[in-house]
Amino acid sequence: MSGDLAYLGLAEAAELIRAKKLSPVEYASALLARIERYDGKYNAFIALTPERALSAARVAEGEIAAGRWRGPFHGMPYALKDIIDVEGIATTAHSKILIDNIARRHAGVTERLEAAGGVLLGKLSTHEFAIGGPSFDLPWPPARNPWNRDHFCGGSSSGSGAGLAAGFFPAALGTDTGGSIRNPASMCGITGMKPTYGRVSRRGVAPLAFSLDHIGPMTRTVRDNALMLQVIAGHDPGDPGSADEPVPDYGAMLSQGVRGLRIGVIRHFYTKDVAGDPEQVTALDAAINLLAEAGAETRDITLPALQDFSACGQIILAAEAYAVHEQWLQERPQDYGARARERLLAGATLRAVDYLQAVRWRLALRDSVAASFANIDLAITASSMDPACRIDDDAALAANYWRQARMPFNVTGQPGLVIPAGFSKGGLPLSLQLVGHPFGEAMLYRVAQFYEDATGWTNRHPPELSD
Amino acid sequence: MTKERRDKAQAFGLDRLTDEHLAQFERAITAMERHLQRLPRSVPPAQEPAHVYRAKGEAR
Repeated sequence: MSGDLAYLGLAEAAELIRAKKLSPVEYASALLARIERYDGKYNAFIALTPERALSAARVAEGEIAAGRWRGPFHGMPYALKDIIDVEGIATTAHSKILIDNIARRHAGVTERLEAAGGVLLGKLSTHEFAIGGPSFDLPWPPARNPWNRDHFCGGSSSGSGAGLAAGFFPAALGTDTGGSIRNPASMCGITGMKPTYGRVSRRGVAPLAFSLDHIGPMTRTVRDNALMLQVIAGHDPGDPGSADEPVPDYGAMLSQGVRGLRIGVIRHFYTKDVAGDPEQVTALDAAINLLAEAGAETRDITLPALQDFSACGQIILAAEAYAVHEQWLQERPQDYGARARERLLAGATLRAVDYLQAVRWRLALRDSVAASFANIDLAITASSMDPACRIDDDAALAANYWRQARMPFNVTGQPGLVIPAGFSKGGLPLSLQLVGHPFGEAMLYRVAQFYEDATGWTNRHPPELSD
Repeated sequence: MTKERRDKAQAFGLDRLTDEHLAQFERAITAMERHLQRLPRSVPPAQEPAHVYRAKGEAR
């Protein structure tokens, strides 16, 4: 297929579709053909839904031809991490446990994407139940990194990251309980937003940890990400954690630059609490300098130690996840993959008081961070401390869970946006994370768009995919 | 050691774990203990947890 279509962005495609210069049917067909050709080596998909996709594309094409254009997502191919329900299709969570779990209704986010006229291509690989991976002992193989298939593509939203980097679709959804949108964004060189807790409905999405789970958009560019968040953001009474806050125009500030903005640098996360890989640290330094040279005021800020957020988050995650999985772990432990089983068993012996102390600690951590953010517009820090490790390096994969600065913002619920920040000498993506005030996603997009325009990292794609 | 592990697991209803699963159980608990050591225990009595029950209406 034309490489132009493979890496066409959502915003560009939307304009072409609206102007009737690109047929949604041809677009979906071209992407499906590319997936058929290449995904056998990258495993981004658990299930393709080509007939459904082409049917939806034909409907969209007819509506647009009749002058009923619904908006930028009309006729747009997308894919969903396979913990998100689509009526009539299995939600497997990449697990034998749920292999026959046909969803009875759409998730809240699926409803919104379908109403916007999206064209679902299929369901995507994940770490098992969004926690255990990459694993070779599950019914489906793990996704591979298109920049180098011998390397980890991050997770748990692994198929979302891999498929975007491979040019299989322009937009996907991931979920993030301890970094699972932002980790594959870092590893695959794409853009991933973990929105504010409550910004996007969790209804119909298999829970990992109720109070830490976030759903968010994954795309190749910042503008595309803002467009997708616009579609999925909003209050949902069916999600008890959903926030009834106004939804701003996420694209409104994209061209405003960074002059005059006050940007906090959370440097101790990647220099003191954990020592980041030198190439990753250099990329962060370069980004901070670039923002300062463009007129932003940058200054270091100090938050509680990364290890405090990690401990608080992991205790809460383990307790809440065990509540979900207790019965299956008791009755069907052999049906889990080894990585998920080990991580989930961590919750078995936690006492009620441990969980409660952790959720009391959480408020103290949130308040401490809010105080440090009082005089800044946003902050910058690392996402991953290292480029992607080899997928067969067990020690490095284990370290991946703590050599990161993502869990703090699952604990506080603030938005975190990860974007590409260059490449290692080995040709693997590096990244940075922008962190905002609650419901401050538009500010993150503003700064990210400036950085993307200034650096052009998102214009680079993996070497030609091999058959 | 295996019997100790098995007894501990059974106390939590985990009586179908194989020896391999029990080794995982032990590693998981050890990892969690490291996190628990950082957990503050001297929290002011009135400090609320992050979730507050509401008798009516949805959380915000």
